[in-house]
Amino acid sequence: MRVNRVLVVIPCHDEDESLGHTLAEIRRLAPDVDLLVVDDGSTDRTAEVARAARVPVIRHPINLGVGGALQTGFRHALSHGYDVAVQLDADGQHDPADLEAVLAPVLAGRADVSIGSRYLRPTGYRAPLSRRIGMLMFSAITGAAARQPIADTTSGYRAYARGVMEICQHDLPQDFPDAPLLIALARRGFRLCEVPVTMRERRAGKSFYTLGKSLYYPYKNLLASVMAMLQRSPTR
Amino acid sequence: MHFLSRTQMIFAFGAAVMLLTVLELVRRRRLSEEYALLWVVSSLGMTLLGFSTPLLQAITRALGIRYESSTAFACGVTFGTVMLLYMCTRLTRLGREQHALARELALLAHEVERLRSAGPGGGS
Repeated sequence: MRVNRVLVVIPCHDEDESLGHTLAEIRRLAPDVDLLVVDDGSTDRTAEVARAARVPVIRHPINLGVGGALQTGFRHALSHGYDVAVQLDADGQHDPADLEAVLAPVLAGRADVSIGSRYLRPTGYRAPLSRRIGMLMFSAITGAAARQPIADTTSGYRAYARGVMEICQHDLPQDFPDAPLLIALARRGFRLCEVPVTMRERRAGKSFYTLGKSLYYPYKNLLASVMAMLQRSPTR
Repeated sequence: MHFLSRTQMIFAFGAAVMLLTVLELVRRRRLSEEYALLWVVSSLGMTLLGFSTPLLQAITRALGIRYESSTAFACGVTFGTVMLLYMCTRLTRLGREQHALARELALLAHEVERLRSAGPGGGS
């Protein structure tokens, strides 16, 4: 029987303070998966930390955004024969203990994209009101496109099947691969599912969503989501 | 009418100078033929409008504009808008190409590093 090969892709931008701990934790809790750090134009010691942990690292010469880093991870995974890729943040918010749960639907062939969701069970996480409104809006849009409820469209803890990677290696939103990506994948006929996970406080560093980005994010994602819904139904 | 004539002359000579400048930039290879196309077409059109009063008046009447100078101004604004939109589409495309190149470069650099660390004749 063929064993599925799993690659955990960790997009990083200036995460040298938290990366070492995250890598060690994944190694401890999920020793069977391979790791890849995509250093997205960091100016700190992110790449050195990855190398010190003996984890392969691909360095972007410039900052491309989370989507760009993920795309590089997909290209690497495809060219090295991996069947599933998992996106996991370096800042410690994603608990590697949930990795098995996130992977399970994709490995079992029940879904093409498995999303680790914060909102399927009570976790005590409470976002600010403005963010909650935005999340509800994108959840409604994505749910309508996917014809199934999607509670957490912004979760960056996801597992992707090989077929999804083959599409996304050519076309993926570069800065915020959230609702527009899920809509585009659902319209291509890929099956989405959510599994409950626990999100923790980030271990170190600054949030990706700065004030400027928090203003730009709803505009960009809303426009991209509507456009993704209006585009002709693509085929795989 | 005297005001119009002066305006028209400035408009026409300005467009002609613009056309010559664009052609000179192309000759010096500081502007590609592709990007020069919009400039050449618009400069030619503006020069023609500037030197041909009947044509300018006909267009002004057809568009329901009151003054010929407004027609010339509207042409300039329209050209500027089209050019900006075109440049934004080009920037979008260049950004995508730049991202794709950066990704390819990163993947190749990683592969070179992997092969180097594997030693002479090393593979996977």
